[in-house]
Amino acid sequence: MNAAAEGKVYPAVEVEVEPERLKDFRGVFRQASGVPPTFVTTIEYLAFAQVAADPELALDFARVVHGAQEFDHRRPVREGETLTATIRVDSVRGIGANAFLVVITDIVDEDGTLVCVAKSTMVERGTV
Amino acid sequence: MSLRSFDEVAVGEELPQLRRVIVREDVKDYADAGRDQNPLHQDDEFARSVGFDGIIAHGMFTMGHMAACVGDWAGDPEAIVQIGGQFRAPVGVGEEIVTGGSVRKRDPEARTATLETWVSVTRADGTVDMPLKRGEAVVRLG
Repeated sequence: MNAAAEGKVYPAVEVEVEPERLKDFRGVFRQASGVPPTFVTTIEYLAFAQVAADPELALDFARVVHGAQEFDHRRPVREGETLTATIRVDSVRGIGANAFLVVITDIVDEDGTLVCVAKSTMVERGTV
Repeated sequence: MSLRSFDEVAVGEELPQLRRVIVREDVKDYADAGRDQNPLHQDDEFARSVGFDGIIAHGMFTMGHMAACVGDWAGDPEAIVQIGGQFRAPVGVGEEIVTGGSVRKRDPEARTATLETWVSVTRADGTVDMPLKRGEAVVRLG
């Protein structure tokens, strides 16, 4: 990975909170109602696809595992709304044989109001 | 289910544990609903080529299970304001994950409780690993 990509902001991605996907997501976790707080990961993931495919950052996605995750909700996500996710590279660090990538995604609603901040740590495992 | 009252919650209180044996279909269902089609979670041969014994569950399956435990305790998944943790060990198909937690502090003004949460797995040889460590959740109660 290229540490020079620190601070890079990727284009915003618009995502609809599809009722069918939400129902399936709830079903996986046997939740009867509401929007689980980790549902935001499905939105974050679409923004993250740009990071994974970025030749400047050069993340070797085949060697990546999820290291840590945090969600900070300002309000719950609502079924049917359209959210906009903007992801940025917070840090790139090498620790031992592994490289740690921290990305932060701001998720805002149609009014531009912040709904959730998601922070992901991805670990690119060393080849040794 | 109704939202748990803040007044009923005490520091040190333990959450009821939530157990689940992970089957292959769960991993596939999560890949579809969660939009994460990484072959590490679908293709045993690929998973072995990168050093695992076979496909592993998504980290976000483990955290989603933890969120379900917290949401069930709170009475509403939307009561969870913050949730997070570190993924420290893989979970394979056929393994049982157990999640639990306890109340670490209460904020009477915000009517929130901060919980310490975790997910464990017992391997076939009896070793206990922690797929999710340093779990934390902040829950806004009624």
